[in-house]
Amino acid sequence: MIRLLAAFLTFYSAAAFAVLEVTVLKKAEDAFPIVISPFLVTGDAKQGESIAHIMRDNFNRSGEFSASSADYVITSQVDFDKWQAKKVEAIVIGKLEQVSKKIFNVEIELLDVYSKKTLYAKKFAVHNSGIRRITHYLSDQIYFALLGEKGSFDTRLAYVTVANKGRGNREYKLEIADSDAQNPQTILRAASPILSPAWSPDQNKIAYVSFKNGRSEVFIQYPFMRRKTQKLPYFDGIASAPAWHPNGESIVLTLSKDGNKDIYSYHLKDKKLTRLTHDVSIDTEASYSADGERIAFTSNRSGQVQVYIKHLKTGKIKRATFVGSYNAKAVFSPDGKSLALVHRVGKDYRIALLDIATKDLMVMTQNKLDESPFFSPNGSMIIFATNKGDSGVLSVVSILGHQTFELTSKAGEVREPNWSHYSK
Amino acid sequence: MLKITSLMTVAVLLSSCTSTIDQLYEKVAPRPSVVTDQQNLADTQESVIAADSSSFRPQEFSGNHARSAAQNSAARMAVAQLKNSNTKFVLHFSYDGSEIDESATQEVIKHANFMRDNPALNLRLEGHADERGTREYNLALGENRALAVKEILGLYELSSRVQVISFGEENPAVQLHDESAWQQNRRVEFIYQ
Repeated sequence: MIRLLAAFLTFYSAAAFAVLEVTVLKKAEDAFPIVISPFLVTGDAKQGESIAHIMRDNFNRSGEFSASSADYVITSQVDFDKWQAKKVEAIVIGKLEQVSKKIFNVEIELLDVYSKKTLYAKKFAVHNSGIRRITHYLSDQIYFALLGEKGSFDTRLAYVTVANKGRGNREYKLEIADSDAQNPQTILRAASPILSPAWSPDQNKIAYVSFKNGRSEVFIQYPFMRRKTQKLPYFDGIASAPAWHPNGESIVLTLSKDGNKDIYSYHLKDKKLTRLTHDVSIDTEASYSADGERIAFTSNRSGQVQVYIKHLKTGKIKRATFVGSYNAKAVFSPDGKSLALVHRVGKDYRIALLDIATKDLMVMTQNKLDESPFFSPNGSMIIFATNKGDSGVLSVVSILGHQTFELTSKAGEVREPNWSHYSK
Repeated sequence: MLKITSLMTVAVLLSSCTSTIDQLYEKVAPRPSVVTDQQNLADTQESVIAADSSSFRPQEFSGNHARSAAQNSAARMAVAQLKNSNTKFVLHFSYDGSEIDESATQEVIKHANFMRDNPALNLRLEGHADERGTREYNLALGENRALAVKEILGLYELSSRVQVISFGEENPAVQLHDESAWQQNRRVEFIYQ
């Protein structure tokens, strides 16, 4: 159990009460053992500790690493034999030198304990305010140097929290935070439900569903700009389930203009609406593949709730799920080969991973009421909402099947997670 | 639990068999001015039905009701009372279903009659789903339930006075996680406005 909360109280005291608690649940049995040494610090020592700490927490949260500290600062004279004996495979060492009030020089090196070689090294200057961000970036670089694929650290989460305000009143908040749940910001507060937040591919916008006008409507908000929230034009009936085209130019959404729930694409600049499904059944919960060539969506056209894939070039629609009587809310993995979805097992709703080509379905969780799966940008993890006790929490499972971490809020329920692409 | 009590009262009033509604109409027809007395809630609700009862004929509907000034004002007051009373009628649905069976259809038809006799009233149908399954699918399902009710009302040329809204699983009537709560949460609420 590693709690990330305490270390950052000094930096984010104002927001501390809104911070989700991060609990690392279980690492893979063959988790990669790595030591991240305290940094050699000249100047503000707190900053040096924060880098090593954030980095260790990042690697432990990934589920694929077992990251620990050393009880002293390891410098360039590394006793590799000693670390080999302790079965450590890699060591991260670093220096942080304060050069002015707000500017620091950062130096970092990743060492392979067995080959005794440097796998990654970097040196640069960074502003005080950018240290967290740089640490996530460096975590991604180290992850890549060790595993040959990207990490998902320099990214953001969006989610909805719900707090009971008594007398049946609830407060809904749309929040964004760094991938480690730190640095949370509330970007929307409402007395009515907020659903389906979705980061735009450029990470500057969030689309979501709000009931603030008494019915479901899709809005686009600019969390980092002084720009007014944009409402998609009013179409009669429900407007919901927004998802971005990977080029960021259009949004796919569900409309019931004629009472019939179908999937449409709305081009934001041209303001053009294109209908993508024509069926009397419910078609909803569309999401794009990373190449923009396919959408996956939920439909009850067979009489059961199942997931379908439409190839946008050919217009062909094929059923994707054949196991079980309820499969919904599918999202493509970044490589486009699998879908994460909600799958009913008996009376329970669980997260499953579908291999699109082989149609193999692997159930990833053992809960009663899982919802809203979404891939981490590197595809190694799936974040989803579930119930724990009587409250909603976010949980993360690795695609290898082990649960990695959980995000909970003392203030109430957390739901509707969405994971951004890499920061720019 | 005042709200639930009044809800049940209306459910009984509006969902009781046609003959009872006929009797109600007959009973209050001769005294449309009862509204001005403003006695208790039950009287007010009766008077809502009374407000336009002079033109009521079960089998022959005419869209236009000629009403006296007194009747108009009575109707207006009745509408105001109905709006303030927060009365609801609730229709429940099966799991993942939006079909309305024969007996429920009869209930909806009584609402059609009621609306035709009270042209000043509009109806908002709020569709809801239980918490199982995905939120966005449930939003669609809730709308289908409300639309199924609207379809029946449409047969009586009432579509323009009926507004459909879905809240999916977001506003459960009962915030518990068992069969009985789910059953109560799969619903369409009739809200007169």
